Amino acid sequence: MFLKKTAIALAAILATAGSARAETVPVLVPITGFLSLEGTSQRNGAVMAIDTLGAAEGLETEVTDTGTTPEGAVTALRRALADEPSAAVSSMLGTQMLAMIPVADRAGVPLLTVSGTARITELGSPNVFRFFPGDSVVKVAQARYAVEKLGARRPALLYQTTAYGQSGAAHLKEILAGLGAPLVFEEAIDISVKDMLPALTRMQAAEPDILLLHLHSGSTALVIRQARESGNMFPVVAGSAMHQPTTAALLEPAQLKDVCAESASSPISEPVGPVADFTAEYRKRFGIEPDAFALAQYDGAAMLVAARAAGAKSADEVRDWLAANSFDGLAMTYKSDGKGNMAHDAVVVCYDGKSRVPAIASRYENVDRTN
Amino acid sequence: MTSLALAQILLNGLALGAAYALIALGFVIVINAVGAVNFAQGELVMAGGFTAIALAPLVGEAAGFPGLLLLPLVMLLMGGFGVGFAHLAYFPLRHRPQVAVFISTIAIGLVLQHLANAVFGAAPRVGPPLIAGDSPTVGGLTLSLQQFAVLGSAALLVSATGLFLGRTQTGRRMRAVAQDPEMAAAIGIRPARMITLSFALAVALAGAAGLLLSNQFFVSPNDGGLFMLKAYIAVTIGGWGRLDGAVLGALLIGLFETLVAAVTSYLVAEALLYGVLLAMLAFRPQGLLPERARARV
Repeated sequence: MFLKKTAIALAAILATAGSARAETVPVLVPITGFLSLEGTSQRNGAVMAIDTLGAAEGLETEVTDTGTTPEGAVTALRRALADEPSAAVSSMLGTQMLAMIPVADRAGVPLLTVSGTARITELGSPNVFRFFPGDSVVKVAQARYAVEKLGARRPALLYQTTAYGQSGAAHLKEILAGLGAPLVFEEAIDISVKDMLPALTRMQAAEPDILLLHLHSGSTALVIRQARESGNMFPVVAGSAMHQPTTAALLEPAQLKDVCAESASSPISEPVGPVADFTAEYRKRFGIEPDAFALAQYDGAAMLVAARAAGAKSADEVRDWLAANSFDGLAMTYKSDGKGNMAHDAVVVCYDGKSRVPAIASRYENVDRTN
Repeated sequence: MTSLALAQILLNGLALGAAYALIALGFVIVINAVGAVNFAQGELVMAGGFTAIALAPLVGEAAGFPGLLLLPLVMLLMGGFGVGFAHLAYFPLRHRPQVAVFISTIAIGLVLQHLANAVFGAAPRVGPPLIAGDSPTVGGLTLSLQQFAVLGSAALLVSATGLFLGRTQTGRRMRAVAQDPEMAAAIGIRPARMITLSFALAVALAGAAGLLLSNQFFVSPNDGGLFMLKAYIAVTIGGWGRLDGAVLGALLIGLFETLVAAVTSYLVAEALLYGVLLAMLAFRPQGLLPERARARV
């Protein structure tokens, strides 16, 4: 009798210990390489959410640098899958995501990402959950703002040669044509190009009335700076890289006059409320300004915590919960469109030429009409 | 294209080529000194840029301090690092196959990249303005003060390096060691000391290029590969082992990149540049200025 009671008590203790065991959420993001700036934001957002909200659910993070190669990302994911996680935060680099998805599908583990590359949710994978609005959302906002608010009729486009750049450029071309303002000039720019004057010179010959950018941070700043220094003062509507405080820091406030950018959100532009609280906490933790990628990944990880709190423990349960439920995040309400696109809102922010903090000029909600 | 636009593009190309020349110069100095390619040369340029960014607040950047005045200090610090670099990347491996030195320089380059990432963050950073003040516009042409500062400084440094190696006792000793270390040692020259000095000079020049490029083109931990590649192409086109060839090759690359991209596109310019490189390797591997027999540096 005593032995039986002891065995039951021991089993209860072991069961309790088992349920209290922390689960590690792998954070597999590019911390080195050309996307390290955005990858660092992604990491910070995920880590902050799991640290502050996930502790109650017994969650902790383990960060792995995926670099910029697909094989680096796949290796990191395979290693993380050995611990059978219920979900993983995965790279925002489209080429890495495309390589990671088949591996995640075989393991049945959901991937939470902020990658903007359109194709990652067009492969039919049930395991992709994108918390940053894809090109089908933000490029609509960018094009509509240029045409409807700024009256552009002859837009020019400079875009990156990366998968991100080509994906966005294809969307922009299509959307602009639909808005009756087809491109008069376009050029793909490699990430290593430093001198933007040749492109700007040829672009001038096409007589555009606005410049659209779909470039990473460094290239975006180089184009704007060299355009302004060579006397080109035309309005610019840039991609989400230009909303990042680190990009704005590369330019003088005066050079930012008539520069706008699409984004999912702009945490530093919100003076009060929960987003302002998030910004203050982020600054305290990491000593830098947050951007939309950080906030989106924070919201993504927060939704994972909500799934766990609702009783979803295994990878299958988490995937089903993420696919079926909506979640009120800090930046917006997230809900899957059936393909894993969770974010459907965008903003356009503009700089006034006097400071490096942009103001939200326009909001675009439910752009892809999925909710 | 208007003549004004062409002039602006030429100025840009020259400034970029001048900065590449400093990188290529350091590259050649190491090749001549030890016969090995320093694959960390690009990361050393990046390190020079970040050194300037770190020093700028200490010398009153906010008060309009011209960044150009940091040049001697950056070169001194980077030269000092070059001494350490030689003792880390070359001397422990000098009796091993040359590939070991290549690998060690690659490893140090990667360490520098990750170190920069950890210390300065992943974001691109802007270096101090080389000269304070607004760029004047003359007849529609924007005369960028930064570009003139790059051109002037690079020209000065290239000339000074040439004079140092050609006209000073130390320079002649360095050349003697580069040509024949055993014979140099036999007449009382210390090869190890001269090799260390070669590394210091090469790294100091890379650091100078880093400072000169940091304001106009920003600095990012991942920039190293690009600069390394440009230096390699410049040396191949100009002439392997020739200082003047490295400078010529670098200037040609700067002008070629900007002019061809202005007429066609970046993708065509890049493809053509590598096409020219392949053609050079196939039909004129000695480069535009062939190496003088037994008269390197």
